[in-house]
Amino acid sequence: MPGLDDIRRAVSKLLKRSGPYENIVNEFIRDLQRALISADVNVRLVFNLTKRIRERALKEQPPPGLSRREWLVKLTYDELVKLFGGEYEPEVKPPYTPYVIMMVGVQGSGKTTTVGKLAKFYRGMGYRVGVVAADTYRPGAYEQLKQLADRAGAMFYGEPGSKDPVGIARRGVEELKQRGADIVIVDTAGRHGYGEEEALLDEMKRIAEAIKPDEVVLVIDAAMGQKSYDLAKRFHEATPVGSIIVTKMDGTAKGGGALSAVAATGARIKFIGTGEDIDEIEVFRPKRFVARLLGM
Amino acid sequence: ELREEDIAPLLDELVIELAESDVALEVAEEIANRLREELIGRKIPRFSDVRSLVVESLEKAIVDVLSRGYQPLDLIAEARSRSPGNPLRILFFGVNGVGKTTTIAKFAYMFKQNGITPVIAAADTYRAGAQEQLRRHAEKLSVPFIGGRYGADPASVVYDAIEYARARGYRVILADTAGRMHTDRDLMEELRKITRVAKPDYRALVVDALTGNDAVEQARFFDEAVGIDFIILTKVDADVKGGTALSVAAVTGKPILFVGTGQKYEDLELFDPKRYTEKIIGELKQKS
Ligand SMILES: Nc1nc2c(ncn2[C@@H]2O[C@H](COP(=O)(O)OP(=O)(O)OP(=O)(O)O)[C@@H](O)[C@H]2O)c(=O)[nH]1
Ligand SMILES: Nc1nc2c(ncn2[C@@H]2O[C@H](COP(=O)(O)OP(=O)(O)OP(=O)(O)O)[C@@H](O)[C@H]2O)c(=O)[nH]1
Ligand SMILES: [K+]
Ligand SMILES: [Mg+2]
Ligand SMILES: [Mg+2]
Repeated sequence: MPGLDDIRRAVSKLLKRSGPYENIVNEFIRDLQRALISADVNVRLVFNLTKRIRERALKEQPPPGLSRREWLVKLTYDELVKLFGGEYEPEVKPPYTPYVIMMVGVQGSGKTTTVGKLAKFYRGMGYRVGVVAADTYRPGAYEQLKQLADRAGAMFYGEPGSKDPVGIARRGVEELKQRGADIVIVDTAGRHGYGEEEALLDEMKRIAEAIKPDEVVLVIDAAMGQKSYDLAKRFHEATPVGSIIVTKMDGTAKGGGALSAVAATGARIKFIGTGEDIDEIEVFRPKRFVARLLGM
Repeated sequence: ELREEDIAPLLDELVIELAESDVALEVAEEIANRLREELIGRKIPRFSDVRSLVVESLEKAIVDVLSRGYQPLDLIAEARSRSPGNPLRILFFGVNGVGKTTTIAKFAYMFKQNGITPVIAAADTYRAGAQEQLRRHAEKLSVPFIGGRYGADPASVVYDAIEYARARGYRVILADTAGRMHTDRDLMEELRKITRVAKPDYRALVVDALTGNDAVEQARFFDEAVGIDFIILTKVDADVKGGTALSVAAVTGKPILFVGTGQKYEDLELFDPKRYTEKIIGELKQKS
């Protein structure tokens, strides 16, 4: 289980200089900026963050027993972990039932797959789960979710051929609650919301108004670059984001875009996706994520 | 005459601005180094400032990278010239969710618009709903669809499609593959097998324009494992600044030939290196 040690190692990798302390700090800050930018953290966010670390490193005194280098490691760790809402794993148990979750995100980010994974995950915790296929745009979206629901042992609601995502969502949530679901997860079509897609953001808002989700989940692809910040902000403005799931963490991407999304929404990351299979989902571990950002 | 000190801060600034446009950091730095070598010792023409000189060189460098290996490809003419026994084969691959299947539907539409009916091979027998997704597209576009059962060998689906096309005189085969992480050895081996069977005329790597630094890894891995003939960049309509194009072109030296600009069948455009350069550094130019 990676933790502070891994981060210490990652930071030490960046701390290879010697000489006067201020030079060490400056060189370190530069390397840290490079690491975070190549991990896709929003550039402005990187500069704000490293400015804070630099100021603290130069102004504050290390607590007794800690060398200045160790202090630098700890500072960096603290500041990064703070961005993720602290070092503890998030609570993923729904606070009450029935609990309605609405998935949103850009095209291909992994929403539908993640609905299947969440359904399986919560089934494993003993909840009755239902899923709603409210993507009426993408060909085969209905069948995709149906197949995943079968695999997860979840109840399913969909209206093949329909062009009314708002109506499907409303009827689906209602019916699945009636059928006894503790957790209802609503899949929606992918959208980015820029240009010609502006209307799709509005549609997303109307779905949310119709079902009043207890939690809107923003699904973010770990490989997404600088656009993450702005995109997450727009989504958050349309339908306030309650939590974030980062997918495709099994690849080489560092996932810094997800950090930007956290900064833009104030929401916490709850899960990460680590593969295509229905079991490949894990509860988010901030320390491990920070280590990865720093190039572990 | 330009000295290192004159341009170093400017180049640092450019690297950051390129990174903000989603050019992978290693590629941005490589370009900055190139500019450094090129510019040090150069005479500054009178009445021009250093910044605009640097930006001008940057623009040239980017156009250069994006044009490397670029040649307009007339797939329509190529398909027409094929004998029925030897259909044109295009294989599409890339990581999960980038837009392969949708792009195939767009290609099918493009061929149909030009009077050529392609055969679609749905060699994604893995992802839930993948078969139905592509079948639905094929139905809408009225083009023949060759699929397989979930779990079936994808290479055999491609083989079936080739046999089908040969027997009936179709001149183009568009083969879809399952999305796969470039780091997954087994899946990359599977892709190589599909490639051996398909003997594609073109291997098209599909890359999502929203991708950040990882674009470099994706392009590198796929190019090494299966080889790439050209690149298609999707989701360019998502208000992207376009640096992803530079990353993949720089790493592979392979041309980007098409861009996806929406979810409709018509939303496929030819890539234009000059125009795209403008997209990447337009804002940056305005500042100078
Ligand atoms: N390797 C990997 N692939 C994933 C992961 N999560 C999702 N995928 C894959 O990503 C691709 C896209 O997933 P979907 O669930 O269809 O994405 P979506 O957001 O519903 O897409 P749209 O509905 O078109 O917007 C599929 O190939 C999934 O199998 C993950 O954690 N790791
Ligand atoms: N806005 C926009 N969306 C696109 C574009 N190309 C594809 N998409 C969308 O991206 C999502 C994923 O597309 P797919 O074609 O299923 O992607 P894929 O690479 O085949 O996915 P897997 O087979 O699961 O790996 C769909 O919702 C498409 O409509 C594009 O150029 N612009
Ligand atoms: K993606
Ligand atoms: Mg979906
Ligand atoms: Mg596909």
